[in-house]
Amino acid sequence: MEISGTKLIAADRQTVWEALNDPEVLKASIPGCTEMEKTGENNLEATVVAKVGPVKATFKGAVELTDINAPESYRIVGEGKGGVAGFAKGEATVNLAEVEGGTELTYQADAKVGGKLAQLGSRIIEGFARKMADEFFTNFQEKVGAPEAPEPEEAPAETAEGEGEGGEGEKKGFFKKLFS
Amino acid sequence: MYSFDYVKPSSLQDALDAISGGGQPLGGGQTLIPTLKQRLAMPEALVDLTGIAELKGVSMSGDKLSVGGATRHADVAASAEVKAKIPALAALAGQIGDPQVRNRGTIGGSIANNDPAACYPSAVLALGATVRTDKREIAADDYFQGLFTTALEEGEVVVGVDFPVPEKAAYQKFVQPASRFALTGVFVAKFAGGVRVAVTGASQDGVFRWSEAEAALSSNFSADAVPAAPVADGMIGDIHGTPEYRAHLVQVMTKRAVAAAG
Repeated sequence: MEISGTKLIAADRQTVWEALNDPEVLKASIPGCTEMEKTGENNLEATVVAKVGPVKATFKGAVELTDINAPESYRIVGEGKGGVAGFAKGEATVNLAEVEGGTELTYQADAKVGGKLAQLGSRIIEGFARKMADEFFTNFQEKVGAPEAPEPEEAPAETAEGEGEGGEGEKKGFFKKLFS
Repeated sequence: MYSFDYVKPSSLQDALDAISGGGQPLGGGQTLIPTLKQRLAMPEALVDLTGIAELKGVSMSGDKLSVGGATRHADVAASAEVKAKIPALAALAGQIGDPQVRNRGTIGGSIANNDPAACYPSAVLALGATVRTDKREIAADDYFQGLFTTALEEGEVVVGVDFPVPEKAAYQKFVQPASRFALTGVFVAKFAGGVRVAVTGASQDGVFRWSEAEAALSSNFSADAVPAAPVADGMIGDIHGTPEYRAHLVQVMTKRAVAAAG
Protein backbone atom coordinates (compact mmCIF):
# COMPACT_ATOMS: atom_id res chain seq x y z
CA MET A 1 0.00 0.00 0.00
CA GLU A 2 1.41 3.33 -0.98
CA ILE A 3 0.34 6.60 0.52
CA SER A 4 1.65 10.05 -0.16
CA GLY A 5 0.75 13.58 0.64
CA THR A 6 1.74 17.16 1.24
CA LYS A 7 1.16 19.43 4.17
CA LEU A 8 2.02 23.08 4.76
CA ILE A 9 3.46 23.81 8.18
CA ALA A 10 3.66 27.43 9.33
CA ALA A 11 7.19 27.26 10.70
CA ASP A 12 10.65 27.53 9.19
CA ARG A 13 12.33 24.44 7.85
CA GLN A 14 14.81 24.08 10.67
CA THR A 15 12.01 24.10 13.24
CA VAL A 16 10.02 21.50 11.33
CA TRP A 17 13.10 19.36 10.93
CA GLU A 18 13.80 19.48 14.63
CA ALA A 19 10.22 18.59 15.43
CA LEU A 20 10.45 15.61 13.10
CA ASN A 21 13.38 14.42 15.15
CA ASP A 22 11.90 15.17 18.55
CA PRO A 23 10.49 12.07 20.25
CA GLU A 24 8.18 14.20 22.40
CA VAL A 25 6.60 15.94 19.44
CA LEU A 26 6.22 12.66 17.62
CA LYS A 27 4.68 11.01 20.63
CA ALA A 28 2.17 13.82 21.01
CA SER A 29 1.31 13.71 17.32
CA ILE A 30 0.93 10.00 16.76
CA PRO A 31 -2.62 8.97 17.61
CA GLY A 32 -2.58 6.35 20.34
CA CYS A 33 1.16 6.59 20.99
CA THR A 34 1.80 5.79 24.63
CA GLU A 35 5.58 5.52 24.58
CA MET A 36 8.34 6.88 22.41
CA GLU A 37 11.90 6.46 23.34
CA LYS A 38 15.17 7.26 21.66
CA THR A 39 17.36 4.19 21.74
CA GLY A 40 20.20 5.44 19.59
CA GLU A 41 21.24 8.42 17.56
CA ASN A 42 18.88 7.49 14.76
CA ASN A 43 16.76 4.85 16.40
CA LEU A 44 13.46 5.06 18.22
CA GLU A 45 11.20 2.60 19.93
CA ALA A 46 7.49 3.22 20.14
CA THR A 47 4.33 1.71 21.55
CA VAL A 48 1.08 2.58 19.85
CA VAL A 49 -2.40 1.50 20.82
CA ALA A 50 -4.40 1.30 17.62
CA LYS A 51 -8.15 1.37 17.98
CA VAL A 52 -10.54 0.91 15.13
CA GLY A 53 -14.11 -0.14 15.66
CA PRO A 54 -14.10 -2.97 18.18
CA VAL A 55 -10.44 -3.77 17.58
CA LYS A 56 -7.86 -2.60 20.03
CA ALA A 57 -4.31 -3.72 19.44
CA THR A 58 -1.02 -2.63 20.92
CA PHE A 59 1.93 -2.42 18.59
CA LYS A 60 5.50 -2.21 19.69
CA GLY A 61 8.06 -1.35 17.12
CA ALA A 62 11.46 -0.02 16.25
CA VAL A 63 12.08 2.83 13.86
CA GLU A 64 15.27 3.83 12.17
CA LEU A 65 16.04 7.10 10.43
CA THR A 66 18.26 6.70 7.40
CA ASP A 67 19.47 8.70 4.38
CA ILE A 68 19.52 11.74 6.59
CA ASN A 69 20.04 14.96 4.71
CA ALA A 70 19.33 17.62 7.33
CA PRO A 71 17.27 19.73 7.20
CA GLU A 72 15.78 18.56 3.93
CA SER A 73 14.90 14.94 3.98
CA TYR A 74 15.14 11.55 5.59
CA ARG A 75 13.81 8.09 5.25
CA ILE A 76 12.10 6.32 8.08
CA VAL A 77 12.05 2.57 8.18
CA GLY A 78 9.93 0.86 10.78
CA GLU A 79 8.65 -2.47 11.81
CA GLY A 80 6.20 -3.28 14.55
CA LYS A 81 4.54 -6.30 16.07
CA GLY A 82 1.04 -6.38 17.41
CA GLY A 83 0.95 -9.78 19.01
CA VAL A 84 -1.98 -11.83 17.84
CA ALA A 85 -3.14 -8.99 15.63
CA GLY A 86 -0.23 -9.21 13.21
CA PHE A 87 2.66 -7.10 12.14
CA ALA A 88 3.41 -4.10 10.04
CA LYS A 89 6.40 -2.91 8.14
CA GLY A 90 6.80 0.36 6.43
CA GLU A 91 9.04 3.06 5.23
CA ALA A 92 8.52 6.64 4.30
CA THR A 93 10.56 9.32 2.63
CA VAL A 94 9.94 12.78 4.01
CA ASN A 95 11.00 15.95 2.23
CA LEU A 96 10.88 19.51 3.52
CA ALA A 97 10.86 22.49 1.19
CA GLU A 98 10.91 26.18 2.09
CA VAL A 99 7.86 27.90 0.68
CA GLU A 100 6.01 31.10 1.26
CA GLY A 101 4.27 30.89 4.60
CA GLY A 102 6.42 28.15 6.05
CA THR A 103 7.57 24.72 5.13
CA GLU A 104 6.03 22.25 2.77
CA LEU A 105 6.26 18.69 3.98
CA THR A 106 5.93 15.95 1.39
CA TYR A 107 5.94 12.28 2.16
CA GLN A 108 5.77 9.05 0.33
CA ALA A 109 5.19 5.93 2.28
CA ASP A 110 4.96 2.28 1.52
CA ALA A 111 3.65 -0.22 4.02
CA LYS A 112 2.82 -3.84 4.41
CA VAL A 113 0.54 -5.41 6.95
CA GLY A 114 0.38 -9.07 7.76
CA GLY A 115 -1.32 -11.48 10.10
CA LYS A 116 -4.88 -11.56 11.28
CA LEU A 117 -5.57 -7.91 10.75
CA ALA A 118 -4.52 -8.12 7.15
CA GLN A 119 -6.70 -11.16 6.59
CA LEU A 120 -9.74 -9.70 8.23
CA GLY A 121 -9.37 -6.06 7.42
CA SER A 122 -8.32 -5.70 3.82
CA ARG A 123 -11.44 -3.68 3.12
CA ILE A 124 -10.55 -1.01 5.62
CA ILE A 125 -6.80 -0.99 5.97
CA GLU A 126 -6.16 1.77 3.51
CA GLY A 127 -8.90 3.96 4.88
CA PHE A 128 -7.60 3.44 8.38
CA ALA A 129 -4.02 4.22 7.41
CA ARG A 130 -5.19 7.40 5.79
CA LYS A 131 -7.21 8.37 8.79
CA MET A 132 -4.29 7.81 11.13
CA ALA A 133 -2.03 9.80 8.86
CA ASP A 134 -4.50 12.62 8.74
CA GLU A 135 -4.74 12.73 12.50
CA PHE A 136 -0.98 12.65 12.79
CA PHE A 137 -0.58 15.60 10.43
CA THR A 138 -3.28 17.60 12.07
CA ASN A 139 -1.67 17.04 15.45
CA PHE A 140 1.80 17.75 14.10
CA GLN A 141 0.61 20.91 12.42
CA GLU A 142 -1.04 22.12 15.61
CA LYS A 143 2.05 21.37 17.58
CA VAL A 144 4.57 22.86 15.20
CA GLY A 145 2.70 25.54 13.32
CA ALA A 146 -0.81 25.79 12.02
CA PRO A 147 -1.23 27.82 8.85
CA GLU A 148 -3.25 30.96 9.43
CA ALA A 149 -5.77 30.47 6.71
CA PRO A 150 -7.36 27.21 5.79
CA GLU A 151 -5.35 25.86 3.03
CA PRO A 152 -6.27 24.50 -0.24
CA GLU A 153 -3.64 21.95 0.18
CA GLU A 154 -5.21 20.22 2.95
CA ALA A 155 -7.71 18.29 1.12
CA PRO A 156 -5.30 16.76 -1.25
CA ALA A 157 -2.99 16.13 1.54
CA GLU A 158 -5.46 14.08 3.30
CA THR A 159 -6.34 12.06 0.45
CA ALA A 160 -2.96 11.25 -0.08
CA GLU A 161 -1.78 10.96 3.20
CA GLY A 162 -0.13 8.23 4.43
CA GLU A 163 1.22 8.05 7.25
CA GLY A 164 3.41 10.37 7.11
CA GLU A 165 6.17 11.57 8.58
CA GLY A 166 8.75 10.63 10.61
CA GLY A 167 7.26 9.71 13.65
CA GLU A 168 4.77 8.29 11.77
CA GLY A 169 6.86 6.05 10.06
CA GLU A 170 6.36 3.88 12.81
CA LYS A 171 2.88 4.47 12.96
CA LYS A 172 2.52 3.84 9.58
CA GLY A 173 4.04 0.78 10.13
CA PHE A 174 1.71 -0.05 12.78
CA PHE A 175 -1.28 0.94 11.06
CA LYS A 176 -0.38 -0.53 8.00
CA LYS A 177 0.23 -3.52 9.77
CA LEU A 178 -3.03 -3.31 11.15
CA PHE A 179 -4.71 -2.78 8.13
CA SER A 180 -2.96 -3.20 5.13
CA MET B 1 -9.72 -18.92 26.21
CA TYR B 2 -9.57 -15.89 28.41
CA SER B 3 -12.07 -15.06 31.11
CA PHE B 4 -14.36 -12.05 31.24
CA ASP B 5 -17.50 -11.12 33.10
CA TYR B 6 -20.88 -11.07 31.39
CA VAL B 7 -23.90 -9.23 32.69
CA LYS B 8 -27.34 -8.83 31.14
CA PRO B 9 -29.14 -6.08 33.02
CA SER B 10 -32.86 -5.51 32.57
CA SER B 11 -32.80 -1.75 33.07
CA LEU B 12 -30.89 0.95 31.24
CA GLN B 13 -29.64 2.41 34.51
CA ASP B 14 -28.12 -0.89 35.62
CA ALA B 15 -26.45 -1.19 32.23
CA LEU B 16 -25.02 2.30 32.41
CA ASP B 17 -23.68 1.59 35.89
CA ALA B 18 -21.96 -1.55 34.64
CA ILE B 19 -20.55 0.30 31.63
CA SER B 20 -19.21 3.15 33.72
CA GLY B 21 -17.48 0.49 35.80
CA GLY B 22 -15.47 -0.46 32.72
CA GLY B 23 -17.81 -2.83 30.91
CA GLN B 24 -17.99 -3.02 27.12
CA PRO B 25 -21.52 -2.54 25.76
CA LEU B 26 -22.72 -5.49 23.69
CA GLY B 27 -25.58 -5.26 21.20
CA GLY B 28 -26.24 -8.27 19.00
CA GLY B 29 -22.53 -9.03 18.92
CA GLN B 30 -22.32 -9.49 15.16
CA THR B 31 -19.04 -7.63 14.97
CA LEU B 32 -17.86 -7.62 18.57
CA ILE B 33 -18.10 -11.37 19.20
CA PRO B 34 -16.03 -12.35 16.13
CA THR B 35 -13.53 -9.72 17.21
CA LEU B 36 -13.31 -11.28 20.67
CA LYS B 37 -12.92 -14.74 19.16
CA GLN B 38 -9.97 -13.47 17.18
CA ARG B 39 -8.54 -11.89 20.36
CA LEU B 40 -8.45 -8.54 18.66
CA ALA B 41 -10.13 -7.03 21.71
CA MET B 42 -10.17 -8.36 25.26
CA PRO B 43 -12.59 -6.39 27.46
CA GLU B 44 -12.86 -7.41 31.09
CA ALA B 45 -16.64 -7.34 31.09
CA LEU B 46 -19.46 -7.40 28.55
CA VAL B 47 -22.71 -5.59 29.28
CA ASP B 48 -25.45 -7.14 27.15
CA LEU B 49 -28.03 -4.50 26.20
CA THR B 50 -30.52 -6.89 24.62
CA GLY B 51 -32.37 -7.68 27.86
CA ILE B 52 -33.54 -4.11 28.36
CA ALA B 53 -37.21 -3.81 27.41
CA GLU B 54 -37.14 -0.02 27.11
CA LEU B 55 -34.52 -0.27 24.34
CA LYS B 56 -36.63 -2.55 22.19
CA GLY B 57 -39.48 -2.09 19.80
CA VAL B 58 -40.93 0.33 17.29
CA SER B 59 -43.46 3.10 17.90
CA MET B 60 -44.62 6.42 16.54
CA SER B 61 -43.37 9.32 18.59
CA GLY B 62 -45.08 12.46 17.33
CA ASP B 63 -44.50 12.47 13.58
CA LYS B 64 -41.38 10.34 13.83
CA LEU B 65 -40.91 6.59 13.71
CA SER B 66 -38.94 5.61 16.77
CA VAL B 67 -36.86 2.41 16.82
CA GLY B 68 -35.30 1.24 20.10
CA GLY B 69 -31.53 0.78 20.09
CA ALA B 70 -31.67 -2.92 20.95
CA THR B 71 -34.31 -3.71 18.31
CA ARG B 72 -33.17 -6.54 16.07
CA HIS B 73 -33.04 -6.24 12.29
CA ALA B 74 -35.60 -9.05 11.93
CA ASP B 75 -38.06 -7.16 14.14
CA VAL B 76 -37.70 -3.96 12.11
CA ALA B 77 -38.12 -5.95 8.88
CA ALA B 78 -41.30 -7.60 10.17
CA SER B 79 -42.84 -4.57 11.87
CA ALA B 80 -46.22 -3.60 10.44
CA GLU B 81 -45.62 -0.05 11.65
CA VAL B 82 -42.29 0.28 9.84
CA LYS B 83 -43.73 -1.28 6.70
CA ALA B 84 -46.59 1.20 6.77
CA LYS B 85 -44.58 4.33 7.52
CA ILE B 86 -41.14 3.76 5.95
CA PRO B 87 -41.26 0.58 3.87
CA ALA B 88 -37.74 1.25 2.59
CA LEU B 89 -36.41 0.92 6.14
CA ALA B 90 -38.15 -2.42 6.67
CA ALA B 91 -36.79 -3.62 3.34
CA LEU B 92 -33.26 -2.53 4.26
CA ALA B 93 -33.43 -4.35 7.60
CA GLY B 94 -34.69 -7.46 5.84
CA GLN B 95 -31.65 -7.54 3.56
CA ILE B 96 -28.92 -7.20 6.17
CA GLY B 97 -26.62 -10.22 6.29
CA ASP B 98 -28.48 -13.48 6.65
CA PRO B 99 -31.27 -14.72 8.98
CA GLN B 100 -28.76 -15.46 11.75
CA VAL B 101 -27.41 -11.92 11.63
CA ARG B 102 -30.88 -10.39 11.44
CA ASN B 103 -32.04 -12.33 14.49
CA ARG B 104 -29.12 -11.16 16.62
CA GLY B 105 -27.91 -7.84 15.26
CA THR B 106 -29.41 -4.58 16.53
CA ILE B 107 -29.81 -1.13 15.01
CA GLY B 108 -27.97 0.48 17.93
CA GLY B 109 -25.06 -1.90 17.56
CA SER B 110 -24.86 -1.28 13.83
CA ILE B 111 -24.74 2.48 14.05
CA ALA B 112 -22.49 2.53 17.14
CA ASN B 113 -19.98 0.41 15.21
CA ASN B 114 -20.40 2.45 11.99
CA ASP B 115 -18.79 -0.09 9.71
CA PRO B 116 -18.08 1.67 6.39
CA ALA B 117 -20.15 -0.96 4.53
CA ALA B 118 -23.05 -1.40 6.97
CA CYS B 119 -26.58 -0.78 5.67
CA TYR B 120 -28.25 1.07 8.55
CA PRO B 121 -26.01 4.15 8.57
CA SER B 122 -27.25 5.03 5.07
CA ALA B 123 -30.89 5.02 6.22
CA VAL B 124 -30.15 7.03 9.35
CA LEU B 125 -28.25 9.63 7.33
CA ALA B 126 -30.55 9.80 4.29
CA LEU B 127 -33.66 10.09 6.43
CA GLY B 128 -32.03 12.74 8.61
CA ALA B 129 -32.84 10.72 11.71
CA THR B 130 -32.02 11.71 15.26
CA VAL B 131 -29.89 9.37 17.37
CA ARG B 132 -31.04 9.35 20.98
CA THR B 133 -28.49 8.31 23.59
CA ASP B 134 -28.59 8.08 27.35
CA LYS B 135 -27.20 11.64 27.46
CA ARG B 136 -28.49 13.60 24.46
CA GLU B 137 -29.93 13.70 20.97
CA ILE B 138 -27.58 13.80 18.00
CA ALA B 139 -28.59 14.71 14.43
CA ALA B 140 -27.48 12.13 11.86
CA ASP B 141 -25.42 14.77 10.05
CA ASP B 142 -23.33 15.22 13.20
CA TYR B 143 -23.34 11.60 14.28
CA PHE B 144 -21.30 9.80 11.60
CA GLN B 145 -17.70 10.96 11.70
CA GLY B 146 -15.78 8.63 9.43
CA LEU B 147 -14.52 5.09 9.44
CA PHE B 148 -15.82 3.32 12.59
CA THR B 149 -16.10 6.73 14.22
CA THR B 150 -19.21 8.39 15.63
CA ALA B 151 -20.12 11.26 17.91
CA LEU B 152 -20.66 8.76 20.74
CA GLU B 153 -18.45 9.24 23.74
CA GLU B 154 -16.88 6.40 25.67
CA GLY B 155 -19.65 4.51 27.45
CA GLU B 156 -22.49 6.38 25.73
CA VAL B 157 -25.34 4.10 24.66
CA VAL B 158 -27.72 4.44 21.71
CA VAL B 159 -31.17 4.32 23.27
CA GLY B 160 -33.09 4.75 20.04
CA VAL B 161 -33.27 6.27 16.58
CA ASP B 162 -36.08 8.61 15.53
CA PHE B 163 -36.81 8.64 11.80
CA PRO B 164 -38.77 11.40 10.06
CA VAL B 165 -41.27 9.85 7.65
CA PRO B 166 -40.39 10.70 4.01
CA GLU B 167 -42.77 11.10 1.07
CA LYS B 168 -40.91 8.29 -0.62
CA ALA B 169 -37.69 6.42 -0.12
CA ALA B 170 -35.79 3.38 -1.31
CA TYR B 171 -32.57 1.53 -0.55
CA GLN B 172 -30.64 -0.37 -3.17
CA LYS B 173 -27.48 -2.27 -2.46
CA PHE B 174 -25.05 -4.21 -4.56
CA VAL B 175 -24.18 -7.05 -2.22
CA GLN B 176 -20.85 -8.57 -1.52
CA PRO B 177 -22.17 -12.09 -2.03
CA ALA B 178 -20.29 -13.76 0.82
CA SER B 179 -21.00 -11.33 3.64
CA ARG B 180 -24.03 -9.52 2.18
CA PHE B 181 -22.43 -6.31 3.30
CA ALA B 182 -22.98 -3.49 0.83
CA LEU B 183 -20.27 -3.41 -1.82
CA THR B 184 -22.08 -0.15 -2.40
CA GLY B 185 -25.52 0.76 -1.12
CA VAL B 186 -27.55 3.91 -1.67
CA PHE B 187 -30.52 5.17 0.34
CA VAL B 188 -32.59 7.89 -1.31
CA ALA B 189 -35.27 9.78 0.64
CA LYS B 190 -37.61 12.43 -0.73
CA PHE B 191 -39.10 14.95 1.66
CA ALA B 192 -41.23 18.01 0.97
CA GLY B 193 -38.14 20.12 1.55
CA GLY B 194 -35.78 18.20 -0.74
CA VAL B 195 -34.04 14.92 -1.43
CA ARG B 196 -31.30 13.30 0.65
CA VAL B 197 -28.97 10.65 -0.74
CA ALA B 198 -26.66 8.63 1.52
CA VAL B 199 -24.07 6.17 0.25
CA THR B 200 -22.52 3.29 2.20
CA GLY B 201 -19.86 0.73 1.29
CA ALA B 202 -18.08 2.99 -1.15
CA SER B 203 -16.01 5.57 0.70
CA GLN B 204 -13.01 4.92 2.90
CA ASP B 205 -14.57 7.40 5.30
CA GLY B 206 -17.77 5.41 5.61
CA VAL B 207 -21.29 6.62 4.91
CA PHE B 208 -21.59 10.00 3.19
CA ARG B 209 -24.18 12.24 1.55
CA TRP B 210 -23.86 12.64 -2.20
CA SER B 211 -24.68 16.33 -2.44
CA GLU B 212 -24.54 16.62 -6.26
CA ALA B 213 -27.21 13.96 -6.57
CA GLU B 214 -29.29 15.57 -3.83
CA ALA B 215 -29.29 18.89 -5.66
CA ALA B 216 -30.18 17.34 -9.01
CA LEU B 217 -32.89 15.08 -7.58
CA SER B 218 -34.43 17.85 -5.50
CA SER B 219 -35.33 19.67 -8.69
CA ASN B 220 -36.13 16.58 -10.75
CA PHE B 221 -36.79 13.33 -8.93
CA SER B 222 -36.09 10.87 -11.74
CA ALA B 223 -33.37 8.34 -12.47
CA ASP B 224 -32.37 10.36 -15.54
CA ALA B 225 -31.47 13.30 -13.34
CA VAL B 226 -28.80 11.40 -11.38
CA PRO B 227 -25.46 13.08 -12.15
CA ALA B 228 -22.28 11.43 -13.40
CA ALA B 229 -20.47 9.09 -11.00
CA PRO B 230 -18.47 10.81 -8.26
CA VAL B 231 -14.66 10.74 -8.41
CA ALA B 232 -13.01 7.48 -7.40
CA ASP B 233 -10.48 9.17 -5.18
CA GLY B 234 -11.09 8.11 -1.59
CA MET B 235 -13.29 5.15 -2.51
CA ILE B 236 -12.55 1.69 -1.09
CA GLY B 237 -10.45 -0.65 -3.22
CA ASP B 238 -10.15 -4.34 -2.34
CA ILE B 239 -10.34 -7.74 -3.99
CA HIS B 240 -14.06 -7.27 -4.60
CA GLY B 241 -13.84 -4.04 -6.50
CA THR B 242 -11.62 -1.10 -7.39
CA PRO B 243 -12.32 2.46 -6.29
CA GLU B 244 -13.45 3.23 -9.87
CA TYR B 245 -15.86 0.31 -9.79
CA ARG B 246 -17.38 1.50 -6.52
CA ALA B 247 -17.67 5.08 -7.78
CA HIS B 248 -19.55 3.76 -10.79
CA LEU B 249 -21.80 1.70 -8.51
CA VAL B 250 -22.69 4.83 -6.55
CA GLN B 251 -24.30 6.28 -9.65
CA VAL B 252 -25.94 3.03 -10.72
CA MET B 253 -27.38 2.23 -7.31
CA THR B 254 -28.65 5.80 -6.92
CA LYS B 255 -30.52 5.49 -10.20
CA ARG B 256 -31.98 2.18 -9.12
CA ALA B 257 -33.01 3.60 -5.76
CA VAL B 258 -34.75 6.56 -7.38
CA ALA B 259 -36.53 4.24 -9.79
CA ALA B 260 -37.53 1.93 -6.92
CA ALA B 261 -38.88 4.85 -4.88
CA GLY B 262 -41.12 5.66 -7.83
